[in-house]
Amino acid sequence: MTHPLRVYNPAAAPDTQAASLGRALDNLRGKTVGFIDNAKPNFQFLVEDLEAQLIGRYGVKAVRKHRKPGQVPVKPEVLQQFAEECDAVITGSGD
Amino acid sequence: MCSTAFQGLGRAQAKALGYADLPIAVIPHPFGIRTRDEVRTLAAECVGNIATLLCQPRTSTAKSARTPQSARAELIEVPDDLMELNQLFVNNHWSDGLPIIPPTAERVEAMLHGTTLARDTVVASIAPAFRAATVERIAINAVMAGCHPDYLPLLIAAAKAVSVPSFNLRGLQATTNPAAVWLIVNGPIAQKLGINGAGNCLGPGNWANATLGRGLRLILQNIGGGLPGELDKATHGQPGKYQFCCAENEAENPWEPLHVERGFAREASTVTVAGVLGTWNMNTHAKDAADLLRVIGDTMAFPCSSDYVHGGAPWLMLSPEHAHLLKREGLSKLDVKRRLWETSKLSAQRLAAKDFGRVQSGRRDDLGELTPETMLPITTKPEDINLLVAGGDGTHSVYLPVSGNSHSATVEITH
Repeated sequence: MTHPLRVYNPAAAPDTQAASLGRALDNLRGKTVGFIDNAKPNFQFLVEDLEAQLIGRYGVKAVRKHRKPGQVPVKPEVLQQFAEECDAVITGSGD
Repeated sequence: MCSTAFQGLGRAQAKALGYADLPIAVIPHPFGIRTRDEVRTLAAECVGNIATLLCQPRTSTAKSARTPQSARAELIEVPDDLMELNQLFVNNHWSDGLPIIPPTAERVEAMLHGTTLARDTVVASIAPAFRAATVERIAINAVMAGCHPDYLPLLIAAAKAVSVPSFNLRGLQATTNPAAVWLIVNGPIAQKLGINGAGNCLGPGNWANATLGRGLRLILQNIGGGLPGELDKATHGQPGKYQFCCAENEAENPWEPLHVERGFAREASTVTVAGVLGTWNMNTHAKDAADLLRVIGDTMAFPCSSDYVHGGAPWLMLSPEHAHLLKREGLSKLDVKRRLWETSKLSAQRLAAKDFGRVQSGRRDDLGELTPETMLPITTKPEDINLLVAGGDGTHSVYLPVSGNSHSATVEITH
């Protein structure tokens, strides 16, 4: 049995302060849904098809779409516009 | 939305940003190679789940906003046997896999004497977990890497540099690309600390290069959360992710050094960070500038390069011999960049069809509509090609492509 040594934990503490999510929607009828496309191959086609499905099957009123350049955050003005115009926003992450 | 392979990254990223219960719709991986009809089928299959997630009640009741946490690091008891201690650090994901120096209170105190800043000072918030890099936490990781106390101000400046928004650390840390952060040191501090910028400057055998590069890697991992298998999604990674640090060989540089080119005083000491994908040796005995710039440009132009997709910011580490050849013919650094910008143009028809679409999407602002006949410049403007003079004797220069949408950042070393 070896004697204990005291050292510092090198990892920064996880951020324990959670942020709040927007309220869930009651239903999708008449709502506006936004898509932020991360510019990965095929995602723009998936968004096109989901737009048709959400409008045709779920009564979504409108879909807003924005294709951002790859690997960088969306510009703040685009986020602001989506926050004002959309009831919910979906974004792609990863490949 | 994430594909199955990126679900863990999506969840970890959401949690790091304070949204642990963010609804995530998952689609099968691989997704990008599917045919148009397969995507249509997938949309029909997953729309129901998306509709459910949008209307699903949230479980979180948290309301507070995120702020950087600057709490002091905790002291923990560990075995004093070096092998057992190292195994504990590996098991806790605090190590890079190489043996570390135990960060005892005494060693960390000694390290903190290397700076005039208070130990609680928050230097930066490190992506992608966006945790606070306090002076103390930087010092702890510097001890583990084997740094001496007088190295600490350089790592503090490096923490600031990686947090410059245009460096895009969140992209570099999480990407599937083998992105390593290269530390380039300029000014008198390079000689003072013994940082090698001459022969074998990226090779083994130099304590300062090895431990400074490693120190930054540990900071990126232990503070930034860039852990392989978690937020770090590199397909292969690269050896430069263990350590990647050198000085510019200012004594053999026929032009103004990098930091002077970037507006700093010659007597200032700076650190530059660059998110590079590897090193590609270019061995050429070209005897005139036109021939040399032609073959270097041709080497830069390969169709799987990330630089052409985003309009990048690649690096050339010219050997002193190549740099002097160019200078003898009267070329300035900017002249060299302009010539390389022309000689490295890539024919769009050499791209894979899917990549043609990525380039079109990524560079519409600076190139407009592409055709197969378009000759793609590697960067938006010639000035974005970066030049460094380093290395020893020999007819070798090095090309270092850059991960997408990352621009290097230079910060003065002050404290």
